[in-house]
Amino acid sequence: MGTSYVYRRDASRLFIAMRENGKRFKIYLPKETLPVIDNVEQDINFIEQSDYQYLFEWKGKRYNCELVSRDQNKSTVKVNGVEYKFSLESLFSYVRHGMIDKDGKQLNENNITSPMPGKIVDIFLAEGDLVNEGEPILSLEAMKMQNEITATCNGVIGKIHVVAGQSVMKDDLLIEVTSIDV
Amino acid sequence: MNKRLLIANRSEIAIRIIRSAHKLGLTAVVLQSDKEPDALYLQYADEIIEARDANNEKPIFLDAERIVQLALENHIDLIHPGYGFLSENPDFAALCEKNGLNFVGPSPELIRNMGIKTIAKKMAIEAGLPLVPGSDGAIANAQVAQEIAKKIGYPVLLKASAGGGGRGMRIVEKPETMERNFKSAFDEATAAFGNGDLFIEKYLENPKHLEFQILGDKFGNVIHLGERECSLQRKHQKLMEEAPSASISSKVRNKMGKMAVKFAKSIGYFSAGTIEYILDEDGTFYFMEMNTRIQVEHPVTEMVTGIDLLDWQIKIALGEKLTLKQSNIKTTGWAIECRVNTEDPQNRFSPQTGFIEKIRFPQGNHVRIETGVQNGSVVTPYFDSMIAKIIVRGNNRQDAIDKTLEALKDFSLVGLKTTVPFCRTVLQDPEFISARYTTRWVTQFFKPVMLEHPDDELIGALAATIIYATEYLQIVSDAPASRNENLNVWVLNKRINK
Repeated sequence: MGTSYVYRRDASRLFIAMRENGKRFKIYLPKETLPVIDNVEQDINFIEQSDYQYLFEWKGKRYNCELVSRDQNKSTVKVNGVEYKFSLESLFSYVRHGMIDKDGKQLNENNITSPMPGKIVDIFLAEGDLVNEGEPILSLEAMKMQNEITATCNGVIGKIHVVAGQSVMKDDLLIEVTSIDV
Repeated sequence: MNKRLLIANRSEIAIRIIRSAHKLGLTAVVLQSDKEPDALYLQYADEIIEARDANNEKPIFLDAERIVQLALENHIDLIHPGYGFLSENPDFAALCEKNGLNFVGPSPELIRNMGIKTIAKKMAIEAGLPLVPGSDGAIANAQVAQEIAKKIGYPVLLKASAGGGGRGMRIVEKPETMERNFKSAFDEATAAFGNGDLFIEKYLENPKHLEFQILGDKFGNVIHLGERECSLQRKHQKLMEEAPSASISSKVRNKMGKMAVKFAKSIGYFSAGTIEYILDEDGTFYFMEMNTRIQVEHPVTEMVTGIDLLDWQIKIALGEKLTLKQSNIKTTGWAIECRVNTEDPQNRFSPQTGFIEKIRFPQGNHVRIETGVQNGSVVTPYFDSMIAKIIVRGNNRQDAIDKTLEALKDFSLVGLKTTVPFCRTVLQDPEFISARYTTRWVTQFFKPVMLEHPDDELIGALAATIIYATEYLQIVSDAPASRNENLNVWVLNKRINK
């Protein structure tokens, strides 16, 4: 079941590439699977790499890329003869710069609160992990039933306020989640 | 003994000429300029003459005296000028003639007459060709220009008699700006051609550029090989050409072709030549000028007629009779040529110079490549920016467009930017697809953002991210990771799964 999720915990592999015109790409580079671009796993083949040159295959077509220039986190890449400029941020610097969830209200909406009084059975993720929308974050036992509490967005786990075995009241803040859905 | 043909040119056209020379059993001799001593065309020649032009003001290809001197020293029989450089310089042709060298082209007199636009126009009028309304000859001053402009109506165009390539050319929208434009055009023409004569004509707002290919021999036989449309231009420089043209009916085609032949015959033209017409929105056409050389875009005509123009140009110079009859000329299919210039279409087509690290051309039965470069070639600022031509033939116009687009996807060049993305954009533009495009397309419709493609952009974002991530992940990782290790897992994984 878990395998259908595109984000695999490691938030340090999520990056934001932004063009001068403001267009953003959210790019996740998992260790052993395909790249995820704007929440969608893309069947992009990495054919060849040599000095500053990259050859990809996607949708049955070849894409020649060339790194034209590089200045700190800004890169100009030439694809099929046309240049595109990007500035790049890691997820953390992106969040730190307040570019995601500037709106505190939205931030609160994504936090996990206890839907009912009960006891935390298990927490599946750790602080700093990426989580997929609908992915179970923790298990809460109430009235002899175990309930899985799931993430309401794609995001990164912030502070975890509870530990396994702890009893909680309704509406207690359990886990902070910062959305990465822009 | 084989006749010896000296090619007073470089790059792709030199290679093209060598090909015909070999077909005709001629020894192909080229000139090696110090400005590009490792050029590709040198590899194709039978003999190379070192021009030693390093300390000269102009490259060897513009040095008429020196070319003739080297030709004589090397026992040359014929000189092919190609296009550009000295190809339409009557003094060079005369100098060749005077020294007993067979110049592959028409007579010096024909070159001279066609080169001076006022004379060419006079000869065209005599042959009954329609001309854009304007002055009969050079105009004396801005006041006279204003008088004529009042008669034919604004906007008008000021043009240098000796001009070409857009120099000495000005569009004048209203009488008040005539004086200023007249002066700047005059100065520009004087500087560029040593002749400041200007003439004036009606400026057509949305014209198309059509031209008819002519072949004539030294016995008065002249035929035409149909038209090419070269409306896709930027600052009067052609960027793409097609044959035939979708802008004229077969009736108009016949009429224009017949007139071209009539004109060529009336002036006693021989060799390959081109009659250029301008076609107005309402379908009216006018004679513009005649080019007395082989043209860059000659391959599109060859692709649809199956006739080798270079072969004929040389055979005619050798005194052979034109055995082709007008009734033999049939065009089939459609051909499009894309010029590969090292210019940056994202940045006002600014020229790019430097190394061609890697170049890859499309292949296929319907694709013809004419190139002057290969991997490792250098593009210098000394010569023009056209490095290659990609010519594609289709069964009909849409098929040719589709196949050209497909072919351009297989073109790649690492190191420099080219006009290929521009050509891709044109081939997908409704104005081009519907054949409504005019010589104003670039100024009216083209914007650099049209060069972009969402898929390319996404791949670019991915590539930029990989480059950034490679370093970022090394920093955040505790392990002393080797270069790229973190990411190569994905790479390796994909390779294994292939």
